[in-house]
Amino acid sequence: MRKFVALALALIQLVFVAACGGGGGYGGGGGTPPPPPVQMIATPGPPNVESLKVDVGPPGLTFPAVNTAFVSVTVCVPGSKTMCQTIDHIEVDTGSVGLRILSEALTSVTLPPETDGTNPLAECVQFADGTSYGSLHVADITLPVSGEAAANVNVHIIGDPAYVASIPSNCPPGLQREDTVASFGANGILGVGPFTDDCNSTGACPLPPAPPLSQNFIYYSCPTPGTCATTTATVAQQLPNPVTLFPSPDNNGVIVELPSVASAGATTVSGSLVFGIGTRTNNGLGTATVLPEDPFTGFITGTYKGTAYIDGYLDSGSNGNFFTDSSLTACTSNPNFYCPASTMSETATLRGTNAATLTANFSVANADMLFSNTSYTAFSNLGGTNGDAMGFDLGLPFFYGHNVFTAIEGNNVSGTMGPFFAY
Amino acid sequence: MKLIRPVVCSLVVAVTVAAPAFAALGGDATSVQADLARMKGALRMTSTAVFTVHEITTESGVVVREYVSPGDKVFAVSWRGPGIPDLRQMLGGYYGQFAQAASTTRGNHHRLAIERPGLVVQSSGHLRTFFGRAWAPDLLPQNFSVSDIN
Repeated sequence: MRKFVALALALIQLVFVAACGGGGGYGGGGGTPPPPPVQMIATPGPPNVESLKVDVGPPGLTFPAVNTAFVSVTVCVPGSKTMCQTIDHIEVDTGSVGLRILSEALTSVTLPPETDGTNPLAECVQFADGTSYGSLHVADITLPVSGEAAANVNVHIIGDPAYVASIPSNCPPGLQREDTVASFGANGILGVGPFTDDCNSTGACPLPPAPPLSQNFIYYSCPTPGTCATTTATVAQQLPNPVTLFPSPDNNGVIVELPSVASAGATTVSGSLVFGIGTRTNNGLGTATVLPEDPFTGFITGTYKGTAYIDGYLDSGSNGNFFTDSSLTACTSNPNFYCPASTMSETATLRGTNAATLTANFSVANADMLFSNTSYTAFSNLGGTNGDAMGFDLGLPFFYGHNVFTAIEGNNVSGTMGPFFAY
Repeated sequence: MKLIRPVVCSLVVAVTVAAPAFAALGGDATSVQADLARMKGALRMTSTAVFTVHEITTESGVVVREYVSPGDKVFAVSWRGPGIPDLRQMLGGYYGQFAQAASTTRGNHHRLAIERPGLVVQSSGHLRTFFGRAWAPDLLPQNFSVSDIN
């Protein structure tokens, strides 16, 4: 075990090369082919590189975190440099948009409410596994290691007691409530997906003429916490993608840079969350292939074992690679994951809205065996079922060993309009 | 309603209402007919030899499907779109099983699946598009494949 850890650490140190000077080097000469390029992981620090860590998460989680990458975020009362709190274990999610913090974790600062001019606002958001409700506030936010900062950002504070005491009836608990750190799985979430706002980037939320029934983002105007009424939110009132508010030019997308993980797993993984794509020497596309996404859904297509799955995406907020494969058995312990008898090597071809294709190689190990090592939190070969017949979701396991770019809509990023993925 | 053999037949009905209500999993399909007067959006029915699908598109653009057996029972439901319908309504009497299973199953914000002998529920989605389906294994008609729940 120790030898394994030492090897893993050595490997991490090998790839943790500062990229400020650009260009990667490897020994050459003679008749032997050079080894493949080393993954260049940017060194955390100003102006645009945040420390990213995969670990067990904050204390008290219902399920210890698996394949969840975290950053810390500092929130301050707008205009203040002292009325602040730095919150750790904020999940980095390229599959959602907006900064949301659990009220339970926000203990030492009171942020002013976001209002519609008259009343404070609240929001109900549904994730695939649960519903979160709470009030909206305004904060100056800073990512502490990189120093990236934005002022007057709308922030969703989930689970604040006065509000969850009277959850509106159209914010259904049909899925389980995720209004606590324990149930949410983190102290908060930093949604840095490829859209500029959570609900509607180009207009009001909900899109008229629909009333907000069965909508994933419902905004409320609340004369008091107990009298919230469904309301239409303007673009400015919605939850923004915080990256879009960072100082130009590092506001057009993000890169998740995590090193490879050994096949048995790892206790922690350290990497970087880089802001901006193609704007500095440490965030260029280099040899990455760009896959433009459907501009409305964010989907690309993954062709796997002869079937084209058109609801495809890469998502740092998915803790496994989720895809349909009837030759793999789902675990009896947890139907979300596969439990093949031995580790399978798989491959898919990804394609965006243009002709460019990209190969995605990944492994699927027996999830029960992986989880049996309870000190490990990172697994590159965790796979599972996808209930969407057209779904193909490459989650954090695929990110290990790849620098994965997510470009935000509305930006021309190194010659291609976002939204797009690249690696 | 009579089932039409393998030829698929479509009936499109548009009615207006306020709040959509759906026949729940395990419920009788006839309740959908009662709900017709209260549905806003489009109802579309397609039939095969084995099952009938009632497809309802809500005002907010979520497409909900109810899969009805020859015995007029809703044996499966699915949804796709910019929202997740209230599962208390969709799962009806099966909701309790789901809630208990969900609280003890590790998922993530973009994926949750639960499986019990009497109930399977799968939910996935990211950004603004969500998909899910649920079925009661012991209500599935003969010769039915769950890959047809989509």
